[in-house]
Amino acid sequence: MSVVRWFSLRRRLLALLLGGVAACWLVALAWTSVDVHHEVDELFDAQLAQSAQVLLALGGHEPDDDDLQEMEGALEHHQRALMFQVWDQHGRLVLRSANAPQTPLTETDGFSESLGPGGHWRYFSHWSRHRHDRVRVVVAENHEVREELIGDIVIRMLVPALAGLLLLGAWIWIATRRSLAPLDAVAHQVGDRAPERLHALAPGTAPEEVRPLIEALNDLFRRVDHALENERRFTADAAHELRTPLAALSAQAQVAIRARDDSERRHALDLLSTGMARTARLVDQLLTLARLEPDSDARPTATVRLDTLAQEVCASHGAQALAKEISLELEASPAPVAGDAELLRILLRNLIDNALRYTPAGGRVLVTIAGEPGRPVLTVTDDGPGIPAAERERVFDRFARLAGQDIEGSGLGLSIVRRIAERHGARIELREGDGGRGLAAVVSF
Amino acid sequence: MRILLIEDDPVLGDGLAAGLRQSGFAVDWLKDGESALAALQSERFDLAVLDLGLPRLSGMEVLKRLRARGDATPVLILTARDATNDKIAGLDGGADDYLVKPVDLDELAARIRALLRRSSGRAEPVLRHGAVTLDPAGHWVELDGARIELSAREFAVLHALLANAGRVMTRAQLEQSIYGWSEEPDSNALEVHIHHLRRKFGADFIKTLRGVGYTIPKA
Repeated sequence: MSVVRWFSLRRRLLALLLGGVAACWLVALAWTSVDVHHEVDELFDAQLAQSAQVLLALGGHEPDDDDLQEMEGALEHHQRALMFQVWDQHGRLVLRSANAPQTPLTETDGFSESLGPGGHWRYFSHWSRHRHDRVRVVVAENHEVREELIGDIVIRMLVPALAGLLLLGAWIWIATRRSLAPLDAVAHQVGDRAPERLHALAPGTAPEEVRPLIEALNDLFRRVDHALENERRFTADAAHELRTPLAALSAQAQVAIRARDDSERRHALDLLSTGMARTARLVDQLLTLARLEPDSDARPTATVRLDTLAQEVCASHGAQALAKEISLELEASPAPVAGDAELLRILLRNLIDNALRYTPAGGRVLVTIAGEPGRPVLTVTDDGPGIPAAERERVFDRFARLAGQDIEGSGLGLSIVRRIAERHGARIELREGDGGRGLAAVVSF
Repeated sequence: MRILLIEDDPVLGDGLAAGLRQSGFAVDWLKDGESALAALQSERFDLAVLDLGLPRLSGMEVLKRLRARGDATPVLILTARDATNDKIAGLDGGADDYLVKPVDLDELAARIRALLRRSSGRAEPVLRHGAVTLDPAGHWVELDGARIELSAREFAVLHALLANAGRVMTRAQLEQSIYGWSEEPDSNALEVHIHHLRRKFGADFIKTLRGVGYTIPKA
């Protein structure tokens, strides 16, 4: 179970906003409670000091029963929470509340705190002149009272804050749901479509933030559609182009079977074998093209010696050239180029093979590699029939063949060459050959 | 029967021409639309086998222009295009049949015979004339129920005359129906074939119109 799977914008917004608000409130609460603590302390201390004054005013002498009663009455509501002692200057306990011990509550003058009977206490001790005597009044107050009050105040603040937090949470949930509705709509639109339906998504009322997504999706759809269309066309073209050679094979085979004499059979079998070679070559070319077909952005990065490759390919076509008495020449300087050796070999093979096939017997095919270091220019020049200027762009199309040619060809070679050139960031151009005759294929890397 | 084959693929064209010749047709083979159109205008063919993807002038264009100038020569389209739309366009454009490559040579020959039958207004696959019966598909002839052995050329001449019974065939027309362009007829070969046919079917079976041609009168 990955984190990604559970990632939800809505939940995340809710958590972040609610957490943030809660944290703010907690800080505010802590701050306030410190403040409240301080204020309550001041208030209660003042009260404690005042209680001592009251005691002094009332007594400081041997109190009679009335006095005591009056005092206890006055302090009744603090029974558990308040104690007091009055000592004379000789250290005798003159007066004490019922809950106060016989021993001194504290030796410290002024305010102090310590553990006493029944919890934490705060004391106020004060020497005072009473009539002619000096007396020491000690008043103690249980700390719990303050804590309770502070606790009360904090809770009273906390409850509405919590209620507010809940309301805020609900509000954020609804608000995010409403704000994210356009995303859901896009998801629906994309989710509902069949794979082959690749038309653009309607931006509709989508907010600014969702638009880039829609545009990116639409762009993707366009590219996928283009690729699919290419694929479809390629398959259709391939099926179409395979039919004629297959029909030729089937026709020649039948002619051979039905032949009435040896020379007729011989002729048909010869053509059958020619047709087989042609079909095999066509299938080969189709597969090469199909492999090159996907619009891959991956540029080959290995360094390849174009001149060495050209040498190899020329060598392998030597026999073909000799058979037609064509002079096949290579003029190459070292030309390292970033590329894919296998693809570049196919490119060279196609160009040189084309040149050899279209050049009449006794002609000349010249392969040159020149240009600046790192940016070589490959030229394959023949003195064949050439291609009229108007047709030079069209011959790069798949299965394009020129009219009135008896030379075998799949119509795929230049298509493949162009693909490979594009892969290598090279430009291919067809020109007139030397002296206005023949054809020069120029590949500039 | 003389057939014009229009196919730009050299291996297929050769195979189709050879196969149709084996089936007893005289075949002329052209490789582009323009020359096919010119040939159809200047000479008479019993049928044209037309590829659609042709250089210079597409097969559909050839068909369109052919029909536009009122030429009713039966046309059989033989193409790699198998889309229904292409078939509809081809047949509605004036083609008499539509075949998708690759095709069996026997089926192609059978369809050509069927088209030739229709174009000569017959429904029956065999030609009957009095005591003579000729089956173009089976390549046999009978006289009073007995098989008559004929050479391929003799058969072609008899076939042409029987298919056009009642009409006079000129010498040139008859020669065209037995020889393709590539085959040069001997100067008096036609007379020899007629002579052999008369010996086998009777002297009166084929009439000569001096200086015009030959005919088999309507039975």
